[in-house]
Amino acid sequence: MGNEERIAVKVDADLKELIPGFLQTRHDDVAAIAAALEKGDWNAVYIMGHSMKGSGGGYGFDEISEIGAVIETAAKAKDAAAVKSGAVRLSDYLGRIDITYV
Amino acid sequence: MGILIVDDSKDSRDLLKTFLKGAGYKDITTAASAQEAFEALGVNGADHRHKIPFKVILMDGVMPEMNGIEACRVIKADAHLADIPVIMVTAMGEQESLNEAFEAGATDYITKPVKKIELLARVRSVLRLHQEMERRKVREKELIETLKQLSEANRVLTLLSAQDGLTGLANRRHFDENFSAEWRRAMRDRQPLSVVMADIDHFKLYNDHYGHQGGDTCLRQVAAVIGQVARRPGDIAARYGGEEFVLILPDTPLEGGMRIAEEAAAAVRALRLPHEKSSAAPYVTLSMGVACMVPDRSKEMKELIERADRALYAAKRQGRNRVKAAAEE
Ligand SMILES: [Mg+2]
Repeated sequence: MGNEERIAVKVDADLKELIPGFLQTRHDDVAAIAAALEKGDWNAVYIMGHSMKGSGGGYGFDEISEIGAVIETAAKAKDAAAVKSGAVRLSDYLGRIDITYV
Repeated sequence: MGILIVDDSKDSRDLLKTFLKGAGYKDITTAASAQEAFEALGVNGADHRHKIPFKVILMDGVMPEMNGIEACRVIKADAHLADIPVIMVTAMGEQESLNEAFEAGATDYITKPVKKIELLARVRSVLRLHQEMERRKVREKELIETLKQLSEANRVLTLLSAQDGLTGLANRRHFDENFSAEWRRAMRDRQPLSVVMADIDHFKLYNDHYGHQGGDTCLRQVAAVIGQVARRPGDIAARYGGEEFVLILPDTPLEGGMRIAEEAAAAVRALRLPHEKSSAAPYVTLSMGVACMVPDRSKEMKELIERADRALYAAKRQGRNRVKAAAEE
């Protein structure tokens, strides 16, 4: 994951104050998903995936909505590998975004 | 403006609230569950008046515990809240539940992830619709009130236009209309129709002696008695002219007309209203003429009145204070 290809994201300027908190929550989700998997709490994983899917694109991060959908589906199927790969994809994405407010 | 956002995801609540605030909407309340929304709205509470009057609710579809559709149904079942428009905010892939949402009373829907432009356009149009409906409701209420007043005014007017102002009996106009209606009805049914003409004896002398106010009082008292005598449905007692009264008695043969006339005469005598100047009695009395016909095409309506009138004059000629039947003609 050393390959630092940056991803440019345009975000509505109205949301500027919300973005740090939003992204922090996504970072937290990566850890929380791992913890929930550990406990076998599929429902918690499902809710996190579902929320990401519903809000990501609204904030300007369509990729987060896509990842959320993957995690939501994987949680429903109790597919731990797919959930983990979703979480990795999220973590990777979060590390590479450059935000411009428009 | 009062907008309520209901969503279990803080990110979604913050997003919607920020977009709406950015567009200038104030008074935005958020709820993280259906239960919190119910508390904000005062569902099933008696204290609706103290709650913020929301103009629109943005309702998440999928929430733990009670979902958005169920919550919408509960809100729509509350008479105080049923008119608040609900916009469902549902994730892609949940569209199959939209039918259910509309059945639950939702006004519109937005898909997640939410686009700012779409959100603002939907909220604006729902608010405009709501405002227009509220305005229409007020107008309808005003219209209904106006119609009610109008029909009451009409009722009073009709009553007044049919009534003699002094005595409260039917007036001459009402008599004329009803007499011809009763005449036609009696002709159709081949039933006898009786008419009684009544005159207060020496009323001019009474007026001269007791004054106009005294005269009016006398007219009112006599009218009240006559009105009570003509009490069957269809009977009409009217003031025919100054001190003249008339009764229309449908389905009544001459003997029946005579009986009612005698009853009226006796009731007026029983009033014992002093009448010093009368040659007939020391109190107020009536002279009356009764006529009866079974109307048919060969007869004229006015003939019945004329016969009753001739009988009335016969009663006067014979000394007043009496009832005379019209001679057979
Ligand atoms: Mg939700």
